[in-house]
Amino acid sequence: MENKFVNIKIDGIDHHVTEGKTILEACLETGIKIPSLCYLKDVSHNASCAICVVDVKGAKSLVRSCVTTINEGMEITTHSPAINQARKTNLELILANHPKECLICERNGNCELQELSANLGISETSFPKTKPSEKPDDTSLALVRNPDKCILCGRCIAVCADVQTVYAIDFAGRGLRSKVATYQNRGLGNVACTNCGQCALVCPTAAIVEKDDTEAVFADIYNNDKIVVVQTAPAIRVGIGEAMGMSEGALVTGKMVSSLRKLGFDKVFDTQFTADLTIMEEGFELISRIKNGGTLPMVTSCSPGWIKFIEHFFPKSLKHLSTCKSPQQMFGAVAKTYYAQKLNIDPRKLVVVSIMPCTAKKFECKRPEMNSAFHFWKDKLNLTDKENFYDVDYVLTTRELAKMFKKTGIDFSSLPEEEFDHPLGISTGAGVIFGATGGVMEAAVRTAYEVITGKPLPKIDLNVVRGFEGIKEAELDLDGTKIKVAVAHSLKNARTLLEQIEEGKSPYAFIEVMTCPGGCLGGGGQAIPTTWAIRQKRADSIYKEDSMHAIRKSHENPAIKTIYSEFLKEPLGHHSHELLHTSYIERGIF
Amino acid sequence: MNTHEENYVGKSAIDEIISKHKVLTTMEEIQEASEYKYLDMQSMDYLSSQTKVPLSQIYSVATFYSFFNLKPQGKHTIIVCRGTACHTKGSKVLLDDLSTMPGCKEALEAGETSFTTEDRLITVKTVACFGQCALAPVVAVDGVIYSNVTSEQIKKILQNLQEDNKDENIRLC
Repeated sequence: MENKFVNIKIDGIDHHVTEGKTILEACLETGIKIPSLCYLKDVSHNASCAICVVDVKGAKSLVRSCVTTINEGMEITTHSPAINQARKTNLELILANHPKECLICERNGNCELQELSANLGISETSFPKTKPSEKPDDTSLALVRNPDKCILCGRCIAVCADVQTVYAIDFAGRGLRSKVATYQNRGLGNVACTNCGQCALVCPTAAIVEKDDTEAVFADIYNNDKIVVVQTAPAIRVGIGEAMGMSEGALVTGKMVSSLRKLGFDKVFDTQFTADLTIMEEGFELISRIKNGGTLPMVTSCSPGWIKFIEHFFPKSLKHLSTCKSPQQMFGAVAKTYYAQKLNIDPRKLVVVSIMPCTAKKFECKRPEMNSAFHFWKDKLNLTDKENFYDVDYVLTTRELAKMFKKTGIDFSSLPEEEFDHPLGISTGAGVIFGATGGVMEAAVRTAYEVITGKPLPKIDLNVVRGFEGIKEAELDLDGTKIKVAVAHSLKNARTLLEQIEEGKSPYAFIEVMTCPGGCLGGGGQAIPTTWAIRQKRADSIYKEDSMHAIRKSHENPAIKTIYSEFLKEPLGHHSHELLHTSYIERGIF
Repeated sequence: MNTHEENYVGKSAIDEIISKHKVLTTMEEIQEASEYKYLDMQSMDYLSSQTKVPLSQIYSVATFYSFFNLKPQGKHTIIVCRGTACHTKGSKVLLDDLSTMPGCKEALEAGETSFTTEDRLITVKTVACFGQCALAPVVAVDGVIYSNVTSEQIKKILQNLQEDNKDENIRLC
């Protein structure tokens, strides 16, 4: 369709702009970035902060540029003494109730409110605090809400409702008592929250942040009795560079490894190793379900936000979930059994730390059933129930890792590139692409095709499942057997596919679901900001890393072959069942 | 002649609109049906499951309107108008008179929107304005508006309610 254009004047200069844009978007095109706070492209335009006001000739008062669409002949003034004063006053009104404790705040240096205050030249706040203080909500294992730092912009509510269809939070109260709240103020840990952390990713301040585990990890690193190993998710290598001040989507695998060693981890391993292992187990599970008339479609189970979502909202469909644990949990189980046994390490001394682009992983690692290694060793070491330990001890987000690097003075960008440790650091291109939406599907197809047909895959890139379309589908020909598959990212799209399943109309054999927009590269634990343009750059880096790998199929990973021959014996075998597979619970909505 | 018939909104579309908007009325009637005139958790859970309106949104509506009560209410309710006109005509004094009930002052000062006596006989609430400014100060007792209320009158009203002589109050109207 041909774009229509309108003629407008911005600050006295004529412009020819695409019809339908808001004033804010039109100005951005012409090189003026109007200060704004509550507005966030693709997420929210609540028009609640009134920072983005501009003057439109003929209008009765200043208008909010984020929600006002341009018209033919519109004459816009973007700055004047009156406009500047209005913006400043409106910001001061917001600041009246915001704690001025930037120096000791989690988002110090990465806060939109702080930046805006600097940009607008706020030197004093003339309005008194009017709202009573409220205690932080620390009921969740993944996220902490700090209501005092909330500026009621509504971004978190919008992303939770519109992108994720979870509706864990909404505005409650009115006037001075307005706040963002869970149902009955139960707290995020006591309602149907998936812990996806998209709220933390879009929050302009530190009103919602991940639960900080950096101090606990430091304590174990500095404890000489502990052997601390780290695993890094695929999406960290395209996110941590940003968090350390490098360019958007910078691919920094080698620097990340050397930095982690400098931080003091005894071994630097890769979650991609267990991503390859997941493909083996999940691929064989799919083949088994297809051959033996099992429940189809089978849906992937790597994304813990998605797992909690289906447990809350679609408990009847749990049988569709693959029983495979996520790569993070497979890693913990394998590290504390296979690896500990191989190196003769007491599993109680082994600490597994995960670096994840994800806040939901913090919840996942504390699920009571995620202690397979404890059960593996219980009889062998005569352990009592009191000595219970989890397979994964701590999960840190990309942002938390950046904090640790900064704290210890690690000069990230100038460090040399190093390789992961063996054997749990060996991976393939198939493991890398787990970090992007469609990646698990593509990796699974690369293996399943060759296992089923016994022939080499004719074309390794499965472009049809790449990209950011909400739901992608493909038909695959596995040597005569045709199957339909689908890929969804964002829980809103997952919901669509689940409703289809519950109506009995799902045409698919296999579905990949990722909780966050864009997949893990857009995860709730990633560097802030995360926009669609940034997600694209991270995806480009992921696929670049994949294409550079000598081995790009999980079943060809030599370390995977070794773990099967030395320990697991076969996919879906006894050890796999005990260590790599799991079960789910019905939660319901509350 | 163009009948526009093809442009009628489909029934399923209307059903969906109804299902989205009937919540407010439903909540009103649930509260009315409740013995202690409030929205209990079980009712809200059930309402959410039947209407598919998320719990957080039902809670948002329930806390937005001062009409909705989230705690059990007393048998009698006294609502003191704290709007500007009533304030200048002394409504603070009326509220102070009611605040002599044990615990009332503390509850209202702590930011509670209402106070109910332990025996669930009397609830005290405030509103921003009844729109009856010419009759200030006004107080609503069990839904009946009392105008030009004096300190003596409010004390008498309270006493009558406490003695369960509600009908006596009508003469003070």
